[in-house]
Amino acid sequence: MKDDCRIGFYICNCGTNIAKVVDAEQVCERIAGLPGVACARAYKYMCSNPGQEMITRDIRERGLNRVVVAACSPRMHEPTFRKALEAAGLNPYLLEMANIREQCSWVHDDPRAATAKACDLAHAAVRRVRYHQPLEKVEASYAPATLVLGGGIAGLTVAVELAEASQPVYLVEREGKLGGNVGRADLTAPYLDSARDILAEKIARAEASPKLDILLRSELVELRGFVGNFRATVRTTGGPTRDLAVGAVVVCTGYQEFDATRIERLGYGRFPDVITSFELERRLRMGRLETDDGRIPRYVSIVHCVGSRNPRYHPYCSRVCCMTALKYGHEIKSALPAAMVTDLYVDMLSFGKGGEDFYRRTSELKTMFLMYEKGDPPRVRAAEPGDDCGLLVQVNERLSGEVIDVPADLVVLMVGMEARADGGDVARTVGISQDRQGWFIESHPKLAPVSTATEGVYIAGCCQSPKDIPDSVAQARAAAAMVLAHVAQGKIEVDARFAEIDPDRCSGCRMCNELCPYTAITFDPDERRSSVQSALCKACGTCVAACPSGAITARHFTDKQIFEQIEGVLAWSSSRSS
Amino acid sequence: MEFEPIIVGFLCNWCSYTGADLAGTARIKHRPNLRTIRVMCSGRVDPTFVLKAFAAGADGVLVCGCHPGDCHYIEGNYKTMRRMELLGQLVRAYGIDERRVRLEWVSASEGERFARLVDEMTLELRQLGPCKLRPTVAALANDFDGLSRAVTAQVAASGEVTHG
Ligand SMILES: Cc1cc2nc3c(=O)[nH]c(=O)nc-3n(C[C@H](O)[C@H](O)[C@H](O)COP(=O)(O)OP(=O)(O)OC[C@H]3O[C@@H](n4cnc5c(N)ncnc54)[C@H](O)[C@@H]3O)c2cc1C
Ligand code: SF4
Ligand code: SF4
Ligand code: SF4
Ligand code: FES
Repeated sequence: MKDDCRIGFYICNCGTNIAKVVDAEQVCERIAGLPGVACARAYKYMCSNPGQEMITRDIRERGLNRVVVAACSPRMHEPTFRKALEAAGLNPYLLEMANIREQCSWVHDDPRAATAKACDLAHAAVRRVRYHQPLEKVEASYAPATLVLGGGIAGLTVAVELAEASQPVYLVEREGKLGGNVGRADLTAPYLDSARDILAEKIARAEASPKLDILLRSELVELRGFVGNFRATVRTTGGPTRDLAVGAVVVCTGYQEFDATRIERLGYGRFPDVITSFELERRLRMGRLETDDGRIPRYVSIVHCVGSRNPRYHPYCSRVCCMTALKYGHEIKSALPAAMVTDLYVDMLSFGKGGEDFYRRTSELKTMFLMYEKGDPPRVRAAEPGDDCGLLVQVNERLSGEVIDVPADLVVLMVGMEARADGGDVARTVGISQDRQGWFIESHPKLAPVSTATEGVYIAGCCQSPKDIPDSVAQARAAAAMVLAHVAQGKIEVDARFAEIDPDRCSGCRMCNELCPYTAITFDPDERRSSVQSALCKACGTCVAACPSGAITARHFTDKQIFEQIEGVLAWSSSRSS
Repeated sequence: MEFEPIIVGFLCNWCSYTGADLAGTARIKHRPNLRTIRVMCSGRVDPTFVLKAFAAGADGVLVCGCHPGDCHYIEGNYKTMRRMELLGQLVRAYGIDERRVRLEWVSASEGERFARLVDEMTLELRQLGPCKLRPTVAALANDFDGLSRAVTAQVAASGEVTHG
């Protein structure tokens, strides 16, 4: 037990986020009475500058040597508060956080129970921090090369940015050519510039760059190592398998389109004149805006939200199809002024720069807009012999409340975006996670939108969620900037948590040797002792829990620290405590 | 007043702790009975921790890790799985109902699943009532080395049973 501990305890109100459920004053009072606690304060926003300064000042003026902050998740602000300790010259590892927002005030309604829980978590943190030890961060080198996975507009952008900043890049694309889904489009909304031009410029820059290695028909089969020091195994069909040393990986694997045959009533696959947006793009690109049997369509019907915003398929909005549909209205009307275009939509989402203006301009082209109910897509059937059209699209029109048959020679389905079927394999290979819909998850939606849970692995473009070209490019450039910031430093601080073996306690049983997933443990046959190579160890703690001699310590996650935490969470609340 | 069990949770940093945070961000309400302790990987959860929790007054212990195959550390959670089998036998040997210990997989995206798990386990423990320990186990609560020696011996003994 550390008798000389002077702990500063800070509880954050987080505006009202915490304080409206947890009685922060009460937590403060109870914690103040614990041994070793030198001061206990509640403050409105601990992560704000005044909040951090409060900690720094108290460390200096009151001689604190440990700090506990009860606030949001440590995944959010642990780095922030560690910096506050450093600013006062205190080792950053002498901090512990209690998560009383994400795991308490946001998920509980009963103020009494939530306050009791917050007290327990804070108590545990105070008990634990007494056994924290100052640790030094470890430095590792940062390989300058980057692996970019996927050569769509996002991947191309990342690769070109990095290569033009003189950093080596491997651009790994599964297909035989670059460009991804943008390569399948004709003009792009809302400014109607040509997709081909946008891509051609990027591809030309990529091909011209001596720093950029384009690996087509290639896949990433394995990724080992850690940030700054990855080893990537890339296999090329009909070519060599390469082992590449890279410092970072940027995943830009994009999306696939929704399979329209899944919504049977739309008739896709049954009627040749029911086509998807991509099939229409193809016809537009070839300048052949016609039906399957080569006639000029007089009626074109465009169905929005195919597979999107429908609880049976995908609950989310695919974000680009409304704009794309407007673009089709515009292109069709310019090519065939006499054609009648009907848009069957749920809500018209034409947000973003230039979006509303584009909506206004295209709707002036005498497109007819009919609204259908979410989850009740229109039904396509063959027209009667007497009708002057090939198909009839039946829609329960929401504004008029009537059932309307819309004539059509061509029906265009605005198929939504979905996560690629093999996204799970990619996620596993690079160690990132997917949400329920299969999109890759960012570290923080607002504050760290292109980082992931695995340091050194970034995501950009549609693999993160549906988005248009401007947003994909913005993310790509953000990811490139993240990589460049690290490469410029040439080294990386690796967390000081790793396992250590006490040679005096190690019996040489070698049990830990094969358990380590990173082969970080080596055995010295002469000494008959095992030891951990700290640069390889990722601090999972598996060996620690397995060593029969108790010879292994997980720095910052020691048995003693966890034991104290266990006692701390139970001291006030357990049914046997009183 | 109804009995409110206290559950000690060991959540791995990469998946389950993130999943629990997600439940928060998404405001998915659940019972306030869990007290979470963060570990880097479920592979770090030493059987001693579990016993220690009971000795210190927990009514249940919930260990959460990434789904098999998704462990951030490649295979830490397979090891946890094997260890938890032994743990079942271990707690029984100490007279603790096996239902009081659960190992569950919660991914970073499964906030909802995490919340339902906490609710489920809380209800089950309410029915089981407070965990009563044999005096010998309770006595070990503050004897760290004694506890880990007892656990190691027990694991070694039951290890032979399962591997045999
Ligand atoms: C019909 C339609 C029309 C559109 N029109 C517009 C428009 O007018 N304006 C606009 O701004 N946006 C438009 N978009 C959106 C646009 O398509 C996307 O914003 C853009 O394609 C996103 O680029 P990306 O690089 O993220 O993904 P993608 O274009 O999907 O590229 C991903 C690349 O990664 C490769 N890949 C995938 N998995 C792997 C793997 N495991 N290993 C190696 N390589 C892999 C793929 O082969 C592909 O080349 C439209 C979308 C649709 C559906
Ligand atoms: S952009 Fe429009 S068509 Fe596409 S899913 Fe969203 S609302 Fe539906
Ligand atoms: S398991 Fe423990 S005792 Fe055995 S070799 Fe490893 S460190 Fe030494
Ligand atoms: S904690 Fe142990 S098992 Fe885990 S990576 Fe480090 S040395 Fe290997
Ligand atoms: S990191 Fe989650 S179980 Fe190993």
